[in-house]
Amino acid sequence: MKNIFDTLLLTEIFQGLGITLKHLFKKKITYKYPYEDTPIFPRFRGVQYIKTHENGATKCVGCYLCQKVCPSECIHIVTDCGPNGERLIRKYEIDLSRCIYCGYCEEACPVDAVHMGRDYHTTDSTRDNYVINMKTLSENYKKELANAQAKGEQL
Amino acid sequence: MVTLKIDGIQVEVPKDYTILQAAEKAGVHIPVLCHDARLNPFGACRVCLIEAVGNPRLMTACTTPVAPDMDILTNTEKLQRIRKTVIELLLVNHPLECPVCDKGGECTLQDLTYEVGLTKVRFEATPADTPVDHTNPFIERDIDRCVLCGRCVRICDEVVNIQAISFINRGMETMIGTAFDQPWNCEFCGQCISVCPVGSLNNRVYLFKNRPWNLEKTDSICGLCGCGCYIELETEGNELYRMGEVPDKGANHGNLCAKGRFGFEFVNSVKRETSAKIKAAGEAADADFEQAVVTVAEKVKSIKAQHGADSVAVLVSPRLTNEEAFLANKLAKDVIGTAGMYAVEPHSSFPDATYADIETSDAVAVLNLDVTEANPILGLAVRAAARKNEAALYVFYPSETALKRLVTKQFTGNPDEVYASMTRLVEGQGEEASVLEVLKKAEKPVAVYNPYNQADLWFVSELKKQIPGLKVAAARAKANSQGVLDMGALDAAKLKEGIQNKTIKALICLGENPSVRTGWADLSLDSLELLAVTDPFMSETAKKATVYIPVATYAEKDGSFTNLEGRVQSVNKALCKGLKTDAEVIAALAEKLGKALPSCSCEIRELIRKEVSLYKDVDFDGGLVKYADAVTGEFAKPAKAAAGEGKYFLYPSSLRLHSGSYTRWSPDLAKVYGEAKLEISPADAEELGLEDGSSVSVSAAGITKTFKVHVEKHMTKGCVALPEDYADTAEIFGKGRYHKVSLGKKG
Repeated sequence: MKNIFDTLLLTEIFQGLGITLKHLFKKKITYKYPYEDTPIFPRFRGVQYIKTHENGATKCVGCYLCQKVCPSECIHIVTDCGPNGERLIRKYEIDLSRCIYCGYCEEACPVDAVHMGRDYHTTDSTRDNYVINMKTLSENYKKELANAQAKGEQL
Repeated sequence: MVTLKIDGIQVEVPKDYTILQAAEKAGVHIPVLCHDARLNPFGACRVCLIEAVGNPRLMTACTTPVAPDMDILTNTEKLQRIRKTVIELLLVNHPLECPVCDKGGECTLQDLTYEVGLTKVRFEATPADTPVDHTNPFIERDIDRCVLCGRCVRICDEVVNIQAISFINRGMETMIGTAFDQPWNCEFCGQCISVCPVGSLNNRVYLFKNRPWNLEKTDSICGLCGCGCYIELETEGNELYRMGEVPDKGANHGNLCAKGRFGFEFVNSVKRETSAKIKAAGEAADADFEQAVVTVAEKVKSIKAQHGADSVAVLVSPRLTNEEAFLANKLAKDVIGTAGMYAVEPHSSFPDATYADIETSDAVAVLNLDVTEANPILGLAVRAAARKNEAALYVFYPSETALKRLVTKQFTGNPDEVYASMTRLVEGQGEEASVLEVLKKAEKPVAVYNPYNQADLWFVSELKKQIPGLKVAAARAKANSQGVLDMGALDAAKLKEGIQNKTIKALICLGENPSVRTGWADLSLDSLELLAVTDPFMSETAKKATVYIPVATYAEKDGSFTNLEGRVQSVNKALCKGLKTDAEVIAALAEKLGKALPSCSCEIRELIRKEVSLYKDVDFDGGLVKYADAVTGEFAKPAKAAAGEGKYFLYPSSLRLHSGSYTRWSPDLAKVYGEAKLEISPADAEELGLEDGSSVSVSAAGITKTFKVHVEKHMTKGCVALPEDYADTAEIFGKGRYHKVSLGKKG
């Protein structure tokens, strides 16, 4: 008898709509990404950046340790010897489409060069754009530095 | 024999063994830093300290000989503590640059630090920051990283016998260097790099190019000269990064020379050709492999139909593997139907003495050969005999050679005098009679000679007749000089005649570069209707080719080489540059000519075993081929060596940094020695007003050529020398190996 009553008067639907109505006035827990950034936690690991010295030269010495430790093999390095016997980094690339953001590269780096940043906007329409090089990584550092300073934080 | 206990394990060892060697036999690991099996015990680092029960003092395992009933403990708590402190003290002055140090990952000091579990150094010291020394073209030296183990100093002295470096200063100031900080007067062999346990001496060719853990190692045989050194090709992907030495394997004991260690770069060269070329109306145009092979096959067919099979000839290079040479012979004989393939190699001398024979010899005669330049590893064997075995060493050569530090007596002078001196040796006259006596009395006499000097073979065969126990070593120049002969190569003199008479219309030239070979440079190849050349590079001959096919180098193929001792050793493929091997070219050509030949090296090896009686039972991984005679044939006593009218004697010299025209494609070697230089004594140079680098014209046998001058203090006055295997010099030496020339200053 009760079942017939419920079915005819659609009480369950109203119950459901009631919950919806209740949530409509509650504090929102979703974000309108990409129009709005989701907040990130202090130890979040995003797209890497590589620190530079004050003169703009990269801190990276091309020791291949991050390449070796990387579990997803997404770091590619080529080094060479310069004309005056200096160590040159011919190529430093991170393939973000392979990166699992584990942060091992940051751990392995002996010279405090590569770090996990806080940026996670990596979506792109082509795969090639996922491969970022030393130039991008150094620019990432500048951005991260500016962001951190804006927030009054230390990198 | 002595019986002793090491960590409770009982071993029986010969009484001249050290505790370290006994421990190796017992399977007990004792850490070492300054020890190297090739060198005399030194005991500099104190890492190998051990305890003998009942003896209050600690001993170094690498220098202490065994004694009966010793009870050795190698890993007590006390020893662990002491070892840790020893390493800690070494690290006080050692800069922590492991991430940027090329040695990082294969560093003995790094390994020891991990082994003893050292994580923190208690002492505070700031390592010096001396600038890195770049004066040597192949060896980078960072003295701050040095731990003064002395391995470089000792190998340079005991093995290479050049003594270029030594300990200088005393106490805290001690470092490795040269007297008065002069530039290194060195052979560039890089042996010091190979033994350096830390990153103090680095290979400049490999410097900062990669890290050791990325490199894949493939055992192979060096393809540059006839020594047949066992090497490791260290590659990542399809790039060759480094030549590694393997002290435990091969006849060379892990020793390498300058070209072997630093001259591999031609494999990666961007100057290598990638596509075949067919010449039509004088213009070479790119073609694909298939097209090139079809063109060659069709030409061969038409020439054969027109002029008969003997109008087609196959010339092989001594850089081809045994398998490829065998296949080339099959192509020449069975497919084309000629008498066989040809090779520009002397046919009357065969391997006899092995390196071991030379090293253990008690009397060595080096006949008209600069052995340390021509075949550096053979030179090391001669040095080992004189140095370690204290053998009597006699050197007959126009100039002083690097062996002068070890010789009992050297016979120098102009080539005529050297020949006269060797004649007196053979005939037992004059002061050379005593040399003959020493050789006759010696238990294991050895003579090293140059098989490319036909005139010298008379001396060798005469000596061999007089001294039955004499073993002779022919200093063959190329990687498989001996192997191509064993595979049936015919004397190329006939081929030359055929080309001159124009009876040969087609030449298939596999890897050979006759345009720079002595005696071949003046031969015109224009009369040929077909000249098919395979070569990794656009060589002088390849430029003249109707069809050119780029092929793989020795690092890119499987096969085997037979070295100058007659040792057959396997060559393994380490990388692929997308090019065909000579074997594949031959197989493709044979197929187009209507007969299938295998191109896989193992299949060919089986055929070699069946068809080449010398190789029937030979082990292709280091087995020795047994030859019946060391020299065959009758030789005439050479008359006066030098022909011509000029004031100076000219003779062909050997180059340490080059082996033929091949290694000149190595940028690092070419940087140090590129163009052919005329070596002249300082006295003559002064007389002519010449300096290092000035130009001089050399007129000999109606040919005048201009060369740059290199003033060399070892040269005998009145003599000048030019290297072989250059287009210009090959022309001069084509008329005879010894000339009297006139020199004229240019510019």
